[in-house]
Amino acid sequence: MSYEAIALTMSGGMLVMLLTGQRIFAAIGFVSAAAALGLYGTGAIEMPFNAAFKLFNWYPMLTLPLFIYMGYILSESGIADDLYGMFHVWFGNLKGGLAIGTIGLMVVISAMNGLSVAGMAIGATIALPEMLRRNYDKVMITGVVQAGSSLGILVPPSVVLVLYGMIARQPVGRLWLAGVVPGLMMAGLFIVYIVIRCKLQPELAPTVSKEELDMPFKEKLKLLKAGIVPFLIFFFMTGLFIMGVTSLVESSAVGATAATIAALAKGTMTRKVMEEAIRKTLGISCMFMWIILAALCFGAVFDGLGAVRAIEALFITKWELTPWQVLIMMQLSYIVMGMFLDDTAMLVIVAPLYVPLVITLGFNPIWYGILYTITCQIAYMTPPFGYNLFLMRAMAPPEITLTDIYRSIIPFVLVMTFALILIIIFPQIALWLPDLFYNRG
Amino acid sequence: MPKLVVYYVKYVDSISTKLGRATMYTIFIMIGVLLLGAITRNILNMPLSWTVEMAQFIITGYYIVGGAYSMQLEDHVRMDLLYDRFSGKTKAKIDVVTNIFLVLYLVALLIGSISSTMYAIEYGERKFSQWNPSMIPIKLIMVAGIFLMLLQAVSTFFKDLAKARGITIS
Repeated sequence: MSYEAIALTMSGGMLVMLLTGQRIFAAIGFVSAAAALGLYGTGAIEMPFNAAFKLFNWYPMLTLPLFIYMGYILSESGIADDLYGMFHVWFGNLKGGLAIGTIGLMVVISAMNGLSVAGMAIGATIALPEMLRRNYDKVMITGVVQAGSSLGILVPPSVVLVLYGMIARQPVGRLWLAGVVPGLMMAGLFIVYIVIRCKLQPELAPTVSKEELDMPFKEKLKLLKAGIVPFLIFFFMTGLFIMGVTSLVESSAVGATAATIAALAKGTMTRKVMEEAIRKTLGISCMFMWIILAALCFGAVFDGLGAVRAIEALFITKWELTPWQVLIMMQLSYIVMGMFLDDTAMLVIVAPLYVPLVITLGFNPIWYGILYTITCQIAYMTPPFGYNLFLMRAMAPPEITLTDIYRSIIPFVLVMTFALILIIIFPQIALWLPDLFYNRG
Repeated sequence: MPKLVVYYVKYVDSISTKLGRATMYTIFIMIGVLLLGAITRNILNMPLSWTVEMAQFIITGYYIVGGAYSMQLEDHVRMDLLYDRFSGKTKAKIDVVTNIFLVLYLVALLIGSISSTMYAIEYGERKFSQWNPSMIPIKLIMVAGIFLMLLQAVSTFFKDLAKARGITIS
């Protein structure tokens, strides 16, 4: 069989397996184990474990459970409620202000966590019900929460950039700094979109009544106190890491400790809340880790076939594409593959195929990391696979239907695509900050 | 269902739960070890070489041994495009068939893990680093965790089989 035929058979087999509704890790793991045995004979029986063992050496991934833990602590201890209150009062009297405030809240949560799960949980359980109660348009605000929480993987810290850093062998500090400006820019674009939309259709976002927001200025200032905790957590976690005081994995432990102390100080951390948080942390961590270890086997089989060279030959020798055309082809292929493959698995399988090619073609690997992350953000939000979609369905109030969720993401995906194009045209948006920080003096 | 199957399901589920509940607390040990490394290096100025590797061992045990419990709790996502439209009984029927693939994958993992552990024991494999720890303990833990996952997958298979026939065992 030719490369193409083998690749198609494997992908097709996986798609069928996935459609049966079996657990994703099992579908991917079985197809890759079967492919390994079929291609290389019985000696390949050890391949699934040897690939899985690679995850042992990817020790930066131990940031993943720690971020998940932090996310649960922040959402269940009431720290996030205080933050929401702050944004609510300070932005409430603007047109569409609660939606704008929610984006602000999401940026702050993103700066404390490396995943979108935390922002999603907080947005869906705290911000969404509040906005629904004030008759905000449900489709718009569902999109706001999904898009806003996706910033979690772009604004530092970011687990996706950790994963990318390992695959592309790039320093995580630089990657995280490169995500800052694009993340803030994207948040800004979301806000611009909300403002314009609410100007055109004021009925989408009724103004919050004056009485509700009316409070002495002193009280208003007091609410800002809620912002201190996130700032401290950000400083101790990401700040100390960027300054070189703590290593990457230590920084996530520092963050987890800081969040736990903040929660204990608030006095809302009962034994029951804590137990629930660590139980969910175990569940979600195992889910991600088992998908990654199955996907590593799939990747190893592809690698054994010489897929990197095959793709290079296809793009450059056969189709005679220019470097820029190759780059665009890659981004488009993510979208196509995103329809057949689970997004986390896609990260693990596709990045090792593309990153060497990107570097050969002379593109900046740090910049490409940001493009890759934004593509992931889009992939996580778009059906049929997408953790954000999946989580949204699980956490959103019952009046929000699946159709609402699917419709809600369309404008935000367009905004994100626009941001992606901007960063492709102006790489400095991503590269300015890391260059400034690491090249001074 | 035969009595033996009911016993098996009950017994395996209870082991997974107990080990899983114990495992979920190891996240605190991991945090502690990493903090210890950061503090001794920066504040006490006496760097420890083993903290990150220790955390690496703990996390591997965490998701391998915790896997069975997470599967019991149905924390592993599925692609539910079609699956979600079926009734509980139909879902169980499909699962009975596709769980066989889950079991086969785990068997492959188990065979690989055993042979890798045999190698580690035979050659006294050590991690190449300053600390230079033996790789045997973590590999034994992985074998045990994968074996437990396999037992849990078989238990899940029986539970789905029972559900498909309209009975509940758990």
